[in-house]
Amino acid sequence: MSMYQVKPVCGSLLKPDLPTCMYTLPNIHGQQGNSCTSDLCSEHALQNGEVDPAVKALEARQDEILRKLYELKAAVDGLAKTVTTPDADLDLTVSSSLSSQSPSSTTFTGVTNLDTLLGKDLGALRDIVINANPAQPPLTLLVLHSVLCQRYRVLSTVHVHSSVSNVPPQLLSCLGPRHADSYARQMFQLGFTLIWKDVPKLQMKFSVQNMCPIEGEANVARFLFKLMSPYPSDAALATLVDSWVDMAFFQLAEGSAKERAAVLRALNSALGRSPWLAGQEFSLADMACYCCVLQSGPASSTPSNVQRWLKSCENLGHFSPAKPFLQ
Amino acid sequence: MTKDEVQGAMEEDQAQSKKGLKKQQKEAEKAVKKAEKQAKLAADQQGSEEDDFAKDRYGVPPMVQSQQKLDRVLVRVEDLSPEKADQLIWLRARVHTSRAKGKQCFLVLRQQQFNVQALVAVGDRASKQMVKFAANITKESIVDVEASVRKVEQKIESCTQQDVELHIERIFVISQSEARLPLQLEDAVRPDGEGEEEGRATVNQDTKLDNRVIDLRTTTSQAIFRLQSGVCKLFRDTLTNKGFVEIQTPKIISAASEGGANVFTVSYFKTSAYLAQSPQLYKQMCICADFDKVFCVGPVFRAEDSNTHRHLTEFVGLDIEMAFSYHYHEVIDSITDTMVQIFKGLRDNFQTEILTVNKQYPSEPFKFLEPTLRLEYTEALAMLHQAGVEMGDEEDLSTPNEKLLGRLVKEKYDTDFYVLDKYPLAVRPFYTMPDPNNAKYSNSYDMFMRGEEILSGAQRVHDAQLLTERAMHHQIDLEKIKSYIDSFRYGAPPTWRRRHWPGESVHAVPRPPQHSSDLHVPT
Repeated sequence: MSMYQVKPVCGSLLKPDLPTCMYTLPNIHGQQGNSCTSDLCSEHALQNGEVDPAVKALEARQDEILRKLYELKAAVDGLAKTVTTPDADLDLTVSSSLSSQSPSSTTFTGVTNLDTLLGKDLGALRDIVINANPAQPPLTLLVLHSVLCQRYRVLSTVHVHSSVSNVPPQLLSCLGPRHADSYARQMFQLGFTLIWKDVPKLQMKFSVQNMCPIEGEANVARFLFKLMSPYPSDAALATLVDSWVDMAFFQLAEGSAKERAAVLRALNSALGRSPWLAGQEFSLADMACYCCVLQSGPASSTPSNVQRWLKSCENLGHFSPAKPFLQ
Repeated sequence: MTKDEVQGAMEEDQAQSKKGLKKQQKEAEKAVKKAEKQAKLAADQQGSEEDDFAKDRYGVPPMVQSQQKLDRVLVRVEDLSPEKADQLIWLRARVHTSRAKGKQCFLVLRQQQFNVQALVAVGDRASKQMVKFAANITKESIVDVEASVRKVEQKIESCTQQDVELHIERIFVISQSEARLPLQLEDAVRPDGEGEEEGRATVNQDTKLDNRVIDLRTTTSQAIFRLQSGVCKLFRDTLTNKGFVEIQTPKIISAASEGGANVFTVSYFKTSAYLAQSPQLYKQMCICADFDKVFCVGPVFRAEDSNTHRHLTEFVGLDIEMAFSYHYHEVIDSITDTMVQIFKGLRDNFQTEILTVNKQYPSEPFKFLEPTLRLEYTEALAMLHQAGVEMGDEEDLSTPNEKLLGRLVKEKYDTDFYVLDKYPLAVRPFYTMPDPNNAKYSNSYDMFMRGEEILSGAQRVHDAQLLTERAMHHQIDLEKIKSYIDSFRYGAPPTWRRRHWPGESVHAVPRPPQHSSDLHVPT
């Protein structure tokens, strides 16, 4: 007679494979997929096998639909950028807030930190000083300025240097109306001081101790653009943007008629392949080329792709500050 | 007499006669020379008396006693240009230099800032005697000259009128000058460095002051005074156009206005009075009397014993006072605009004078921005910190730091004139209005030219209660300022005050310290 009856804990199904193996255990490494699918399969298999193809088909359909949806989304975004009204920014921000997972995000986003770019905040206004010759107003910088104003609180001022005696009134108001809070400089994140001066080349000064002056509209444009959003992380794309910017300032704006014609042809062929010069997104390349194309000559001789692209740029609404100087 | 004595006497006689002989010989030689000289003179005179066909074309005419009113037009030296070529003109100027060379005499005739080369040459219009006369005219004499204007192929570098010279036909000395002058004008205008380098003389400041009349004739002095006049005129015109009223305030007052230390006392009949240190009190009275905008140009007296180029016992003050509506920046904008108009006026209309002064006192051209640059104290601190200066947030700027800041601002913005706004409250007087958003700072500012402070201003507290609080905070005896606080009890408009040191406004052009003619700077 037994003292305490205890039920058997483990089943008697396990048959030790003596003398080599006492306990067999399933292999826990690798082939997990197989094990999953095998589970599924086994599940499916468990479920009579009839639902198996249906579920598969369902899944396939789901994938297909999702893929089409993504494609549509991309197409619509692209279209939106080319066809929208001057309230583009509003539309884009609205649409971007609705689609949190959109792969093609709005223009000029990306993480930028003023402190890393401009140096530690010492509790005072960080003022960027640009010396420009009134004979050659820097349109690209005016456009960049208006975009900067949307991103940050910018205190903009225009001065006339004593080396210049007379400046047309539209150059004095090119940065827009004076901000209501301009008496309190500390309240702004960034200062944009434009000085009309008799300089041979456009010049930018920021931190006299740590930075040498930056010369040339192309370089200042790059600096200002990077305050808003970083260059594309893909090195090839970034180089493409840079090369377009250089082409715009050196060959379109300052080049001979032959060089200009060559650039226009290059623009035409590039714009035949993608809506914008650097692919799917509006970038500094488009900004610079737009300003230089319109500054350099009449629009009659521009090829068709370029004309279409010019209209798209205008529809974006960023270029309104440059308009008064292009007529 | 002994034989020896006789012999001695005979020897003496002989010696005497030898000496006598020598003496006689010498006298004879002298007489011969004298006779020769006299003969020569006589010959010269004879020579001069013969053939002086130009006798009536030069000389010293009788003193101008208004004998007759000539309708003669005297041309100004500054108007002599190639346009007047071949014209016969009269002009009156001073002889700056005269140099004879054989049959010609070159003169430089000077009038205020301008001079021109003139030539007397022996020919059919001028005789030898006339050329000699011209060469002997003493410097600084005033002459009347009739001459024809001739163009020159090569520019005359040493004169202001470089394209023409005068060929003199008649020359008369109206007022002769003594031969020996206490100082030479060329030396007085020579830049200090050049004098040392080439071993040429420059004139000591004391000598200049002792002979101020001559020193003021130099081109540099003429230019400086014209610039000063221009600054005052531009100041007046700009403010009048903005609707300001010019007032004249009392200079003999009954109580020291700024604080007793730096005031001059004058005896006033049976008691004493003081020379006004600034028109501040009267300007404020005008504002409280609804004048709205006033300015005042007049002397200011400070008994300051400092001997720097920024401290004078008597100087001309350009003072402004205005009421503002909502923000003290309205006032800053008004002042900076006035300054910019003055700078522009000097730049556009007084280039000749500026260049003249630059010859003796070289300097960089003055640069400014329109509208004027306004930086906040925090920005200045950031710039100084970056340059390695250690100073606290609420510390005042020392003079070397002000100069360094001026250089930093010049490097970044390329301007010599700017406003520094929002000074820390701790370094300003008790009557300064605190900043509404940040109690550490105040509504006060300074203006700088070439790194030197030229103007200080602030919004004043116009509320009696706040004034009392601030005074107590600064541990000031309320009894002493009771009348000041009381003056705000009768509806004082928001007011602000600004003090301008005008000696510095002419720092647009560096100049030697200004002295009145009979007052020397105390040592």
